[in-house]
Parts: sequence; structure tokens; C-alpha cells
Amino acid sequence: MKKVATPEYDIKDKLKYHVSALSTAAKEVVMPLNITTHYPRERRKWPDCFRGYILFDPERCISCFECSFVCPANAIWMKEAPSGRYYPTLDYGKCIFCHFCVDSCPGGALRSTKIHDVAYKNMDEMFTHTEEMIEPPEIIREDEGYVEYEIDKEDLTLKRTKGKDKLIVDVAPSQGVPMVSLCIDRGSCIACKVCEKVCESGAVSSLLDEAKMIIKMKIDSEKCTGCGLCVKECSMQILRLVRRE
Amino acid sequence: MRMATETGVAIGESEWEVKVPAKKLKNKLHFENLKAVVMDTGLCSRCLTCVSICPSGLIVTAEDNVDFPDYEERCLDCGACVRVCPRYDYKPLSGLGDYIEFIAGQSKRFKGQDGAMATELIVSAIDMGMIDRGLFVDRDERWMTGIFHVQDAEQLGVLTLGGTKYTFANVLPELKKAVMFTKRGVGVVGTPCMVSGIRKLQQEFPVFRERVKLVVGLFCTENFHYEEVSRYLQEKGVDFSKLVKTDITKGKFIATMTDEEVKFKVKELEEILPGGCNVCTDFTAVESDASVGSVGSAKGFSTVVVRAENAKKVINYIREKRTAEFGEAKPEELDFLIGHKKKREENIKRD
Repeated sequence: MKKVATPEYDIKDKLKYHVSALSTAAKEVVMPLNITTHYPRERRKWPDCFRGYILFDPERCISCFECSFVCPANAIWMKEAPSGRYYPTLDYGKCIFCHFCVDSCPGGALRSTKIHDVAYKNMDEMFTHTEEMIEPPEIIREDEGYVEYEIDKEDLTLKRTKGKDKLIVDVAPSQGVPMVSLCIDRGSCIACKVCEKVCESGAVSSLLDEAKMIIKMKIDSEKCTGCGLCVKECSMQILRLVRRE
Repeated sequence: MRMATETGVAIGESEWEVKVPAKKLKNKLHFENLKAVVMDTGLCSRCLTCVSICPSGLIVTAEDNVDFPDYEERCLDCGACVRVCPRYDYKPLSGLGDYIEFIAGQSKRFKGQDGAMATELIVSAIDMGMIDRGLFVDRDERWMTGIFHVQDAEQLGVLTLGGTKYTFANVLPELKKAVMFTKRGVGVVGTPCMVSGIRKLQQEFPVFRERVKLVVGLFCTENFHYEEVSRYLQEKGVDFSKLVKTDITKGKFIATMTDEEVKFKVKELEEILPGGCNVCTDFTAVESDASVGSVGSAKGFSTVVVRAENAKKVINYIREKRTAEFGEAKPEELDFLIGHKKKREENIKRD
């Protein structure tokens, strides 16, 4: 059997290590060094792009369903409002906070906050109706300061700052990839004009030429916001979103 | 202008023209035209071509008829229904039609009404890569029809897909979905009226022209509405839970059950014959790529009328792979039923 021998120190080394240990202990007594946040009396300062509680602005929503389509956890359910428009509801019991919905929203109606500490009494309560998504949830804040981690080459230290961190910050909505709607099979168009009806930006237009008995369909690529509503609604599935550049 | 790579259409030139069909009744919606010309005159064959193309609310009602209950509000007046309806400008087709080959076949892989050649044709077309899905009419234990998308021969082992069903099926609305899903192409089996509907769709819309690659027609004398035929058969003593197969041979309707057989003359069914079938003269689906039926070949075989090159390719593939046996078929045996349906021309009212 092979044995691993303990390292052998001479008296000089032993003395050096003992002094080092004692001085570290003494330092901790005078100036304790911990990296634990004293939540809730202080909060960690999260970056502005933190993926937390999601807020919704109905004014900017175009009811394109993109958020509910893109959601990998099926947490978003579009619900009909009294106005006939469809708005998202969010089930936090399912949400995985990937924020694909926020990033894919063409109108910038969904936005992220740094709120991550919302408590619910039961699963039903986690289903968040559209109305509840407009205003941030009520939170009791006991924090008097926020902390940041500073990482240097060797160690991690806490930097404490007095004052309250702003939990709702304005972040420019995701630009995404600029897209434009395009008809890829004009011969198969039945001119049902559903695309024109659903278009929020007025980019799709149709004009009946009664003399020739033809309908002129047009997509104005300058006005098109690339929301993809027409692409989803087209009954012949002949519209596509393509990259602008 | 830069080309969008995946579509081949340049961004910017997004203007196109769509022709509007002329209206027979001016100042009326296109659907009202269709209703007046086709449905109210009893011409409608319930092929559902209009239902498949309608972007709004054209539907099959609970009574199994085609209707648009709230058309006044919801009809978009695009005229697609009028463009595709095979009975709007009805030119009745009849006879045996052109063909390349007239043969009898019996599938070694599948069991159907006779030789299961409709199933064999579609599955072979999937095997050879011509299409990636075929539409089959399935039935439940009450003999109600449903549509099944078959993408693999193995799926046919568990389904009641073979065999004749004498009730209408909603094939064409499913065909549109299949056309949207498909990567390579779709194969479909249908009655002569459905085949005519598919041809109309293909004539009007490139998307159907490009993606519907094999159309198998069935020999068809008539078809029935589910509610009516099930009530009629129950009165005759047919127990649907025991029903194995239905067939029409030599002028008799034969319902085979596990323990007995119910037979009666087909003529008796005329009282529930749908109006659209009463004016249909096409027995052999002359517009199909290949027609399949039992008349004209020996017991256990299906007659196959190969009309188009694509169907010929599939038949050659079947020969090469030896998945079916082939025999002789007699075109003259079809003459009686072709004549029987030709007579229905008299039923078409002309104004």
C-alpha cells in the first residue's frame, strides 16, 4: 500500500503559519468579512436587464399573440377583453422567467422589472390577470441599502450603499431583428383582405378596380412593423416574415 | 433590391393583383350567389371545396349540409368559394375517361374492401418519396367518418382506414391543412366530386398545384348523409356495433355484420339520395390521376384505372417492389354503372 506522507514543516514555517492564522482571526474580530446579504434589510442591486416580474402596457399591445406563441412554458394565455381585443395573462406557476415574451413583443408592451420576491398563498393566485399586470405588485420594502459584489483577482467582497435601489427601470425595448411581411405566393391569394383587417399599422391595403374586376393588394414595407399578425391570420398561409436587411 | 433568401421574393415589390370572379346575381355577396346557384338548386355535392378555401365561416352544419349561418356579418365576399366550386359552372363529366392502363390489383400488404389498391397507391407514393403524407378516411365504431393523416405505412396497421364508407367525409378541409404542413407533397383519396373540387383548387391556386401530387379517385355511384343512412340502416336491422363492411354489388346493398348479413336493393336507398348525387354523372372520377373501385375485376381485386404519369410511376414502383399482385380487368363491366350515372344528366335543371 502506498501511503501519503504528511508535509513536514520546520519550526520556522510552523511559526509563520501560526502568526498568519492568528492575524486573520484578529482581523475578522475587528472587521468581519462576510458575503451574505442581510435580506430584507438590504437588497442586492440587480442589473437593469434582470428578468423579474413582468409588467404590461395595454396601450402598446397589438394583440398579435406573439408572447403566447413564443412562451416555452405555455404560461401565457390570451384572454378577450370587453373591447374585443386579446390581452395576455400570465401564470407565474408556469413561468420560467426566460422573458422570451418581453424580447419578442413587437410593440414593446411587455417590460421587465427587478421585482423577484412576490409571494402567493396558493397556485390559483399565481395566475395573473391582465389587469394585475399593468401595475407593479404591492411590496413592503424594509431595505435601507443595497449591496453589490466586487470581484477582484483573489476574493469577493461586498460593497454596501445606503438608499433604495430602483426596482422598475426604463430599459429600451428589445429591437429584435427588423422584419417585414411579404407575400410569397401571390397566385394563391384569395383577396379575403384579412391581412388588411388585422394590420395595426395600416401597411396592408387593397383597392378594387371595378372596371377590370381585380383587387390590387399592397404591403407597404415602410409602414410594416413586422409584427407578424397578418402572417398568422392569412388563411392561405402565403405571407412570411423576412429580415429587412 | 436585395432578395430575401428563403422566399425568392424581393422586399419592396409587395404589390399584387387578384382577380375577382364575376357575379351571376349582381349586388349580392359571393356566398349568396353560391347559395342561389348551387345549394338551393340541389346541385351541391357536399365535396366541401368551398369549406376548405373559405377564410371565414363556411361550415358543415349539424344536418351535414354546407352552410354559412351568419354570412351577412362574417362573409368577407372574397369570392373564393365561387372560384373553386365545381358545380357553380357545372359541366357534368361522365364515361370512363382517358387512361394509360386498365388493370386489376391486389395489395399484399393491406386489407381493404377488395384489393386495397387505393391504400397501396398512397403508401407506395409515400415510400417512393413522391409525397410525405396521405389523407385517409377513418371511421369510428358508429361508422362516423374522420380524416387521418398517414405519414408511414405502419400507421395503417391499427386503423380502420380501408373499406368503403357510404357516408360523406370532410376530406378537403383536411387537405388544405395537409397542404400547409407538407414538405414534399400530399396524396389524397376521394370521390369523383372531391376530385373535381381538388382540380378546381389546383386550377385556381398554385399552392395546391404544387403540393397535391397524387389524387386517387374512387368509383362512386352515390354517397349518403350520416344521420339519414344510419337511421335507414337501423330500420333495416343493421347493428352498427357488429357491422364489418358495407358494399354494393349487382344492384344490392349488402351490410355484413359479424353474425348475419342484411341485403336490400340499392334502388330503395333512392329516397335518401342526396340532391348533389342525383345530378352527378361521373362514376369513375375521370379527372383523377388514378381511379380505384371494385367493379370490373375478380373478387379480392381492385380495378385500377391509371390516367396520369405520376400514377403510372407509382404503379411501376409497386411492380418493382412486388407489394401487389396484378391481373386482368374488364372495362366493359363498368358500362352498366357508367350508363346508370350518365342517365342522371336528365336530373340537372337548366334555366
